Amino acid sequence: MKFDKKLLLLIGLVVILLLVPMMVTRPYFLHVIIMCLLWAYLASSWNIIGGFAGQLSLGHGIYTATGAYVTMMLFNTFGISPWLGLFVGGAAAVLISVLIGFPTFGLRGAYYALATVAISEGIVVIINSTHELGPFSVGGAEGLIVKMVGDSAAALQFSSKIPYYYLILFMLFLVIAVSYWIKTSKLGYCLIALKEDEDAAAAMGINVRNNKLIAAMISAFMTALGGVFYAVLIRYLEPNAIAGGSMSTQMVFLSIVGGSGTILGPVIGGILLSLISEVIRFYLGGQLMGLHLFIYGVIVLLVIMYQPRGIVALLGQIVQRFSGPKTVEGGVSGVKDSGA
Amino acid sequence: MSVVANGLSMGAIYGLIALGLTLIFGIMKIINFAQGALLMLSMMISYWLWKLTGLNPLILILIVGPIMFVVGYLCQRFLVRPVLDSEKNVREPVSVLLLTAALAIVLENLALMIFGADYVMAKTSFSEQTIALGAVTVSAARFYGLIIALVVAGVFWLFLQRTQTGRNIRATGQDRNAAALMGINVPNTFAIAFGLGTALLAVAAVALIPFYYVHPSVGQVFMTKAFIVVVLGGLGSVPGAILGGILIGLIESIGAQYMTATLTVVLVYAVFLMVLFVKPSGMFGSRYDW
Repeated sequence: MKFDKKLLLLIGLVVILLLVPMMVTRPYFLHVIIMCLLWAYLASSWNIIGGFAGQLSLGHGIYTATGAYVTMMLFNTFGISPWLGLFVGGAAAVLISVLIGFPTFGLRGAYYALATVAISEGIVVIINSTHELGPFSVGGAEGLIVKMVGDSAAALQFSSKIPYYYLILFMLFLVIAVSYWIKTSKLGYCLIALKEDEDAAAAMGINVRNNKLIAAMISAFMTALGGVFYAVLIRYLEPNAIAGGSMSTQMVFLSIVGGSGTILGPVIGGILLSLISEVIRFYLGGQLMGLHLFIYGVIVLLVIMYQPRGIVALLGQIVQRFSGPKTVEGGVSGVKDSGA
Repeated sequence: MSVVANGLSMGAIYGLIALGLTLIFGIMKIINFAQGALLMLSMMISYWLWKLTGLNPLILILIVGPIMFVVGYLCQRFLVRPVLDSEKNVREPVSVLLLTAALAIVLENLALMIFGADYVMAKTSFSEQTIALGAVTVSAARFYGLIIALVVAGVFWLFLQRTQTGRNIRATGQDRNAAALMGINVPNTFAIAFGLGTALLAVAAVALIPFYYVHPSVGQVFMTKAFIVVVLGGLGSVPGAILGGILIGLIESIGAQYMTATLTVVLVYAVFLMVLFVKPSGMFGSRYDW
């Protein structure tokens, strides 16, 4: 009975999500929704290493940039379809994640966090000042413009926003599925164990470094796909936007505010927070420089201080308060409350 | 030779910034991501005090230092401590780290709203001067910066070694529970350490403004450098921070003589990665003591 209700709710939600492009006709609004889903996707990708494994990566912009740049350089120079290029870009991101993770994962968390920040800042500087790389044009600080070929599914270029919406929706489902798989697999349990207590996990026979590395590799690959999506959607790569500190910290904040280490927390945090920041920017952005980011920062501060387990925990409490014991008996009102 | 002198002075200032970072980390196990933003704040305050009063920036240390100490103390008391208390049993307090990162965003955008995005520099009487030391000619502002940084670092080291407060701070860093049992007021010591870490930034800020442009995101540049320095020198190590800073400063200024700016950056990161691979705990850090 309870399972059926949950399934019904899920199917209803999916149908609504699939119908969104029919309801939202203005391209600007659809673009805002696409960006919210992209942020939810990126926050979920970060969550695999940052939430599940508890390894604070503050340089995930490295992977969005690697995915985006490698794929688009291959496309611009050799005309290789992004569908193939994304595997090369993803592989490059995985390689970098190993390069950072291998030396630092043997140590405690802080070194990994510092190394990721330092290396991501370095990559921004390098991209900003590299104009040519062998046969490839990188564009330097002026950025890389994606070559236009008109409507083409092979090149992932569409004049309408709708295909992008379905693409990012599919990617979001994919990352949720991957998160669910990790969380319920042996890897997930190993990650929880080493997050709670590294020494105890090692004593139980868990190879701490390898498990962290696997999580970091999966996270890097998924993040690189997000970078590729960004590239085909925006069609212009600006080094500071795609690789910079704001890209990296954004992923972390969205995930933490939503509830890191949970499957749906980063999704909720990503959609909610980027919607809020977009609304603030829409209404206040023109008036005072920095105001919308200031408000954004204050919201994050307050959440960390008063709701450290994230919005997801808050929702859980609300659902429990309204339905508490009834959910155990029949589950009817509980599901209704959370859905309404 | 003047290249080396420039590298030394910039490096000593990097070291000073890294010193604040490493102090806060060594005592509280918190990486303070607001360090860069607090440096920016100190630079802004120093700049405006200089502009309004016309005092020599080097005298301003006596005003900006205490102001930033209070700012740091209050940050620890009202923002960091509540979060730290709720995470008492966690070995690496991640929420606190994010708290400081959020604080950095708030401070940077506050500065953007108040001061605007302009680049400003304090054109003091000695900004354009040079000093001849034998055959070497150095910019006066940078030379004073070097002297200030080294003197303050030395005084700070003596303070940690010789005074009761310094001993309290070091004891708390080694084992906060044992320190509490010995009658040390641990929360207060944390707040003092945070305040001192921030006051060190004020010194760096005052040394910087006569020859370095101030703008709301200036902190980010120094923050990344400070992170590299701290990893190079070893987290929590005072001599490591200063020597690491000087090493990075020298690599930058000497590298800039022989290659492009990008290659210099790449070189800095190459050294950084090499240290991570060969001796991840840095030059003076211990793998176990934190």
